[in-house]
Amino acid sequence: MREKDATVTVIIDNQSYRVPRGYTILQAAERFDIYIPTLCSHKDLSPFGGCRLCIVEVEGMRNFPTACTTPVEEGMIIRTHTAQVQSVRKEILQLFLSEHTSSCLICDEREECKRYLGTIRKAGVTTGCRYCPKDGQCELQEVVEKLGIQEIEYPIYYRNLRVEKEDPFYDRDYNLCILCGRCVRMCQEVRLANVLAFKQRGRNTIVGPAYARTHLESGCEFCGACVSVCPTGTLYEKARKWEGVAQLEQVTTCSFCGVGCQISLQIKADRVIGGLPAEDPLVNNGQLCVKGRFCIPELVNGPWRLRHPFKKFNGLEVDISWEDAITLAAEQLSRCAPDEFGLLISSNCTTEDLYIAQKFARVAMGSNQVDSPARLFYGPALNAYLALLEKSVPLAEVREAPAILCVGLDTRYGRSVVGVELRRAMHRGARVITIHPREHNLALTAHAWIQPPPGGEGEILQFFARFTAGEESASPPETNLSSETLRQLARELKQASGVVILVGSEVLHYSASPQILAVLHRLAENLGAGVLPLPAQNNFVGSLLMGTYPELLPGGFSSANEKRLKELEKVWQTEFRPLTNGWNSGNLSAGKPLKVLYLIGEALPSGEPPAEFLIFQNIYPPDSPIRPDLTLPAAAFTEADGTFVNGEGRVQRVHRAVNPPGEALPDWEILCRIARKMGVRGFDFSDVREIHREIAALVDGFQDFDQPPRQARSLTIEGKFQIAASGSFEAKPDGKKYPYLLNAAPLEHVYRGFPLSSRVEGARVIFADEVLHMNPRDARRARLQEGDPVEVTSQYFRKVWPVKFSPELNRGIVQVTVLQNELIGLNPIPVIIRKSHV
Amino acid sequence: MVSSPSEKTKIVVGMASCGIAAGAGDVYNALKEKIEKENLPIVLEKTGCIGACYREPLVEVQTPGLPTVIYGDVSVKRLEMILEKHVKNGEVLANWVVKGEGIHTSEDALFEKQVRIVLRNAGEIDPERIEDYLSRQGYQAIRKVLLNMKPEDVINEIRNSGLRGRGGAGFPTGLKWQFARQSPGKEKYIICNGDEGDPGAFMDRSVMEGDPRSVLEGMLIAGYAIGAQEGFIYVRAEYPLAVKRLQIAIEQARERGFLGKRILGTNFSFDISLKLGAGAFVCGEETALIASIEGKRGMPRLRPPFPAVKGLWGKPTNINNVETFANVPWIILNGAKKFAALGTEKSKGTKVFALAGKIKRGGMVEVPMGISLREVIFDIGGGIANDREFKAVQLGGPSGGCVPANLLDTPVDYESLNQTGAIMGSGGMVVMDDRTCMVDVARFFLNFTQEESCGKCTFCRLGTKRMLEILERITRGEGKPEDLDKLEKLAYNIKKGSLCGLGQTAPNPVLTTLKYFRDEYEAHIFEKRCPAKSCRDLIGYRVIPENCTGCTLCARVCPVNAISGERKQVHYINPEICTRCGACYEVCNFDAIEVFSPVELAETVDE
Ligand SMILES: Cc1cc2nc3c(=O)[nH]c(=O)nc-3n(C[C@H](O)[C@H](O)[C@H](O)COP(=O)(O)O)c2cc1C
Ligand code: SF4
Ligand code: SF4
Ligand code: SF4
Ligand code: SF4
Ligand code: FES
Repeated sequence: MREKDATVTVIIDNQSYRVPRGYTILQAAERFDIYIPTLCSHKDLSPFGGCRLCIVEVEGMRNFPTACTTPVEEGMIIRTHTAQVQSVRKEILQLFLSEHTSSCLICDEREECKRYLGTIRKAGVTTGCRYCPKDGQCELQEVVEKLGIQEIEYPIYYRNLRVEKEDPFYDRDYNLCILCGRCVRMCQEVRLANVLAFKQRGRNTIVGPAYARTHLESGCEFCGACVSVCPTGTLYEKARKWEGVAQLEQVTTCSFCGVGCQISLQIKADRVIGGLPAEDPLVNNGQLCVKGRFCIPELVNGPWRLRHPFKKFNGLEVDISWEDAITLAAEQLSRCAPDEFGLLISSNCTTEDLYIAQKFARVAMGSNQVDSPARLFYGPALNAYLALLEKSVPLAEVREAPAILCVGLDTRYGRSVVGVELRRAMHRGARVITIHPREHNLALTAHAWIQPPPGGEGEILQFFARFTAGEESASPPETNLSSETLRQLARELKQASGVVILVGSEVLHYSASPQILAVLHRLAENLGAGVLPLPAQNNFVGSLLMGTYPELLPGGFSSANEKRLKELEKVWQTEFRPLTNGWNSGNLSAGKPLKVLYLIGEALPSGEPPAEFLIFQNIYPPDSPIRPDLTLPAAAFTEADGTFVNGEGRVQRVHRAVNPPGEALPDWEILCRIARKMGVRGFDFSDVREIHREIAALVDGFQDFDQPPRQARSLTIEGKFQIAASGSFEAKPDGKKYPYLLNAAPLEHVYRGFPLSSRVEGARVIFADEVLHMNPRDARRARLQEGDPVEVTSQYFRKVWPVKFSPELNRGIVQVTVLQNELIGLNPIPVIIRKSHV
Repeated sequence: MVSSPSEKTKIVVGMASCGIAAGAGDVYNALKEKIEKENLPIVLEKTGCIGACYREPLVEVQTPGLPTVIYGDVSVKRLEMILEKHVKNGEVLANWVVKGEGIHTSEDALFEKQVRIVLRNAGEIDPERIEDYLSRQGYQAIRKVLLNMKPEDVINEIRNSGLRGRGGAGFPTGLKWQFARQSPGKEKYIICNGDEGDPGAFMDRSVMEGDPRSVLEGMLIAGYAIGAQEGFIYVRAEYPLAVKRLQIAIEQARERGFLGKRILGTNFSFDISLKLGAGAFVCGEETALIASIEGKRGMPRLRPPFPAVKGLWGKPTNINNVETFANVPWIILNGAKKFAALGTEKSKGTKVFALAGKIKRGGMVEVPMGISLREVIFDIGGGIANDREFKAVQLGGPSGGCVPANLLDTPVDYESLNQTGAIMGSGGMVVMDDRTCMVDVARFFLNFTQEESCGKCTFCRLGTKRMLEILERITRGEGKPEDLDKLEKLAYNIKKGSLCGLGQTAPNPVLTTLKYFRDEYEAHIFEKRCPAKSCRDLIGYRVIPENCTGCTLCARVCPVNAISGERKQVHYINPEICTRCGACYEVCNFDAIEVFSPVELAETVDE
């Protein structure tokens, strides 16, 4: 074909312009700042041509074409603002307003009345713009204003649709809907979730999930992408309803999982009022999951945020000044021998916090008793998991892989951005296979869903590993799929080159997990596949790199590495005797009884206080009944500068978007102050940048604080972790006596030791932590109603949880998530279930 | 034709949906049973719609030695008589004959002015037997095309014939094929649009039921011409008989090698499958139809790109109407010239219409283009039912318009009809008499379109609803002087600003009635009067004392007891109670009840 000219000449409003071929008239106009009113068009969505507002006159065309859908052609003569076109546009707006609660838009007093609005009604009925959450941000308002609609020539109807408030996170008032279809296109084209669709016809046309189901029932991921593009007040975030327009935005890194999405925090009056996806083509590509999109404001703005330091005094808690708090801490810490001190720090903290924490333990306390309890999340599978993490490939490889195998991965809520990548991959023709005991979104959309019993993943992987190693006669285990299908899948995997294996959290907590992950490792090697473990903790890799573990020094070196120790002594200008006595967060009493336990961003265990003196540094007071001796208010990730290292090994910036509440301070700063008070040198940092510089001297990949390298760094871990022995036992299945298999997993959606479900209303609904999930038929047979307390008894424990019906689970299987320091054993655990009469 | 004596009697029962609805199934079964039981020397067959739907069930009897005749209104009882008199005794029952050689019937005009191309086989063959079709040159056209013609020749032949799309817009079919052929790409599709969403239209159904293979053959030829490998027939699920017969025809064609791989030993492979639609009007619009076949919501999208460039699954697609395809084999066999000889300069061939409404002989007719509306309605259709006065004819269904009496001589061709404000459309022709209120007609059609709007674009979704509200107001006598301007302005904007044909044509019924019957609108608004005396809120019923015999019949049928009066005394209708249901008017045997409008007249009578 003949090479075509890349541009065409068009005449818009008597001016001639050259525009790229393939542009729509709207794009051409926007390029030259010619205003054409629009409502249904959106830069991220395909052209729709529904609202008709963008009509223009094109010479030679019979009707008025819509600018947003009509491509430019050579010599086109376009008029954007003729009297006729304007009159048609006004008619459109009048038609919209004739079914919209629009009194404010055309009210003479509209500028004046704001002052007299005494109350804000939180009623579901929107009676006019001033009561609409979108007031001031509404695109309909904007075009009405621009086109100057003065009156509506039609009677005004209220559609009288019920406002839908039953789902978490956002409400829907379809009385305000203009059917622009943006939400539908977003859900269908961009998220590929297909929850929303147009329903019915004519004047009854409406959008929403099919069959009048709720969003929860219809598989909605609560990614909020639809909410973000709604031009009107129809779809609105519950938590942000009356916050109005943001004043500032700050891009930062999400702190809720190891994907590390870039979020644009919405800021008003020094408060974070929301989070919207930011573009980062390498990571989240303009998408977020429910946590990043909806959970931040409620989490960081909770009324119980710690604002001042306080101490326990005669059984009471009294506010003290920072000066006194630092002095008290320093005094207590100075009393400790190295093995009488312990420091636990959350891997939700920034890399800089983590670095300072381990330096504090090692330099100020001369102790190696520093740990990140994230290790407990991985339990006995930790070493096997780290071996996978060392092989981690960037998420972007999913975009090229011809076949993707997912194990233990559920992307409905957490990590739904990965779910989107998987669906996109399927659209471009990649095969997606998932192994998971539960029926969930991914299971339903993947090409093949292999459903083992909990813990049976290993046998399937074993089969794949043997098959791909050339043992084609290996016999597959029994699953929902036939042996022939499994063989076929194994063959597909073997033939594909560039397979990627995604590892979710739900394969980590079986007694067999170490072996399962080892087989997975082998399979990956057979296939030459990239592995992408998706750690639950946003800065787990950072904590490994910084060495906040008794076994590790900064840079991934073993703490037994003499050479490394020498180097560190030089940089830190100190003498350092490592202790390796088996102490860690799963085994706090391994050494001497602790005089001081310093918890940074970690929850308190519920039993006896594990030390004489407890320092608790966090953003909320502990949920546990134990009262710390000293409580220090810390900054949340929205209030501090620093970096995170995500699961791929990518260093990402965290920005202080707002000030911490009250007197709260970033963790590193508190630590440095205490160290200085103790008279220790090497903690004179005045900002994070200086800490980062020191890290850069010790660990690769941290050279530039302001512009961290874009590529993911690789991870090497020297030596092995000690696996905590406590709490683990082999269960002996006894099907008669214990008819159910319990899968008790550590709670995954946690920030600084606080489950999101305990701080965010909607998260409580979707995550349903510390609730026993059970197949509805089983539950009914046991004569249980949803919410009933049930007693779960095993050989070793008896627990009571409320029950929730979950059709996703097979019969005979029950599931619960609990705080990781309250884990009760390794799964699956044979149990008896009966209604509790407590 | 006179059958030769050596043959058995052959009886053909019209078994299209219209016939079955009228009881043809019973007739067929009774006959079958009788033949078997008494071992009669009769060959029994069924066929599609013969065209005189108002006289169904229709039965054709070919007895050796007698002229072939078609009997109308055949019941099981009449059938006995026919067997007895006609078959056994050789007596033609002239009174019941609808059509018969040498027999003059009241229905002659129905057939005389028709030219049957599309319906050439309908009513003549058993649509469930491929042999019948083959015996009437069936699949000869595709043979000719595959063995002797290049795709370009086929396209030229169709272009020369002047065939235009029968689905509504009248786009030249050959040109459309050419576009699809020129579109780059290996994968291409043919779609046959059998959605037929216009209320009251059943032409396409009759073709699919009566002669499904002509459609298949037309699609095959189109497939060869544009280079497609696959075809779909989109037919509404409410047409179960059409679905069944198409299915049978497809299977038989596959068995005989007219569909499938390497058809007739050539390199041409083509297969056809059915897609059932849920019956939304808008799904007849081509882009919505394509979305629907793809499994999406039937919602139109903007053209360009046209389906010929980007259609089904993004591939070049040619979409034509059922009737369009049914013309194709005939054109190939008889030549473009012969087809072009029929009709006017720009509209060639024939068009099938469904005649309905206040007409004597409703049914399906195929007429040459260029015939006048008057001929169709008065000669073929026999004029207005009950010999009332002709008022208007609605053409083109909800997208069309009303043509008044003074335009009755308009020739039936695309351009002339467009000039009146109506359209050819898919062939619906609803005749109205003086008792039809034109405001109400506009309201009826607008109500239909606004309910069928897919809801995508603002004008069509909300604009038609606002128009409808105004019309409803007017028919209730609550119209305002400015309403007519408002209607016209909205109508203009909706036409100009809607995305697809549904919205762009939805105001047509309103615009044409406003153009030709503005006085009726004005009477409603300014005098609160409905000239057709049909709008319930504007009329009243009263007894004409001179005619009333006091038979009490009206009082007995009145559902709300609004009528009082002693036996043999003049009755009285209480306007306060009367709900204007018209029951009394219908039953009175003495024309003693009259309708009046406006309602105010009631008082003057009371005094
Ligand atoms: C609202 C609407 C409904 C339509 N319904 C039909 C229909 O029922 N049958 C049909 O053949 N064409 C229908 N059409 C026309 C089709 O879009 C298309 O033009 C036609 O199928 C092309 O075939 P033709 O060129 O053979 O006429 C409709 C168009 C519109 C705008
Ligand atoms: S929140 Fe996300 S998944 Fe749910 S309806 Fe909106 S776009 Fe679809
Ligand atoms: S809910 Fe919002 S985005 Fe969706 S169609 Fe209505 S106005 Fe548009
Ligand atoms: S996927 Fe992870 S990083 Fe992204 S928004 Fe969700 S929790 Fe945050
Ligand atoms: S004109 Fe009507 S039917 Fe056509 S796309 Fe618009 S709303 Fe849908
Ligand atoms: S913006 Fe173009 S039609 Fe809505």
